Amino acid sequence: MKKYVSHLLVALLAGALLTACGKQEAPVAATPAKPAEISKIVVGLDDNFPPMGFRDAKNELVGFDIDLAREAAKRLGVTVEFKPIDWNAKEAELGGKRVDVLWSGLTITEKRKAQIAFTTPYLENRQIVVVTAASPIKTKADLADKVLGVQEGSSAVEAVEKDQAGKTVKSLKKFGDNVTALMDLSTGRLDALVVDEVVGRYYTAKKPGEYVVLDEHFGTEEYGVGVRKEDVELLGKLQQAMDDMKKDGVATRISTEWFGKDIVK
Amino acid sequence: MDYVIDILGPLLEGTAVTLQVFLITLLLAVPLGLGLALVRVSRFRVASGLVSGYIWLMRGTPLMLQMLFIYFALPFVPVVGIRLPDFPAAIVAFVLNYAAYFAEIFRSGIQSVGKGQYEAAQVLGMSYGQTMRRIVLPQVFKRILPPMSNETITLIKDTSLIYVLAMNDLLRAARGIVQRDFTTMPFVVAGAFYLIMTLVLTWGFLYLERRYAVYED
Repeated sequence: MKKYVSHLLVALLAGALLTACGKQEAPVAATPAKPAEISKIVVGLDDNFPPMGFRDAKNELVGFDIDLAREAAKRLGVTVEFKPIDWNAKEAELGGKRVDVLWSGLTITEKRKAQIAFTTPYLENRQIVVVTAASPIKTKADLADKVLGVQEGSSAVEAVEKDQAGKTVKSLKKFGDNVTALMDLSTGRLDALVVDEVVGRYYTAKKPGEYVVLDEHFGTEEYGVGVRKEDVELLGKLQQAMDDMKKDGVATRISTEWFGKDIVK
Repeated sequence: MDYVIDILGPLLEGTAVTLQVFLITLLLAVPLGLGLALVRVSRFRVASGLVSGYIWLMRGTPLMLQMLFIYFALPFVPVVGIRLPDFPAAIVAFVLNYAAYFAEIFRSGIQSVGKGQYEAAQVLGMSYGQTMRRIVLPQVFKRILPPMSNETITLIKDTSLIYVLAMNDLLRAARGIVQRDFTTMPFVVAGAFYLIMTLVLTWGFLYLERRYAVYED
């Protein structure tokens, strides 16, 4: 019998792999193609995106968008699950039905509208230029032949590319996140950073005196909540909830909590 | 110092994720690697060739690509169409990838045992299976410990790749805090965590090497 041990081992491994595959197919089959009633929404977010969504000292998700989404889910009468996603893969996460909603300071752009259905804007945001306090750069024109940084996959990329000033820069460096870009700014390898105002202000406030925000900016944008194009019902309900929140002042309260003033549109 | 204590909680939670991926991968990939190596050195030409192809595929493409494929592309593959949640997807990718490397380590160990020993075992009336289990594998386990230690230490650091599935491992947890607090201190603490983990592994393998030294030839 012992001589069969190695054969048995191979057979067992093959069997284990097959059963593993078999088990994993089950949840897919259990998911109905079209749920009759929405009972739960999965919100995809960048969990390293303060102050919109990040983890507090207790490792719990907090942020302006988190509070808004919780409130909206409450009004919809559905449970909400927050799923951190890699922001570069947001379209794949939404398209692959791993998340139902993108709610994380998502800028409404023409390019994204092709794949994502948006609510009406809930926040206005500028693409600001951050430089070090000692930097000679004072205007957008000064950016000529300088190294400009942006966050990869963020709307800052588009904003810079379509702006005349963006065409004169020496190079556009795309960072995984805004913090590494700011650190690069401090080391002097990067000359300026274009970033969402709500995010940029959060960081520059952390290190007073180190950074300066230019008066000129790379345009105004709007944040919206994104869902799959076929989820018309969900979009309608979300829109209704957000309109109500803006009307009855809850949106204002949440905004004041996070930004010290009402910036909700 | 107070700050370090403050950030310990999230970093420990990240360490738990790192260790889970590490341990489950090790537990599944080592036996799978051994099985693959046994098939690879067996007389079954077709099976051996298939394993060679598998190893080429797994070692020939980046682990990150394999992970992204299993997570994002597999659901859209016709017929198969498996949609795995993030954790199982990461485990499947790591196990499949690391088993290929482990298989080659096992093969190097198996083939390091001299042909004379097989012949001697045959003379004693042992079957191929008996020879493997009683004569060859005990020597293999001893000889492959240094490369296994190498690969295992690489594995614990490679687990940080799961950030592409937005899973909060130690490194990503540290990055999250860096992004929240705008200070690089969490990176230093995370580095210390990795060093402690690799130190434990190094010691563990040293202990095993001493224990298996009884098979010294």
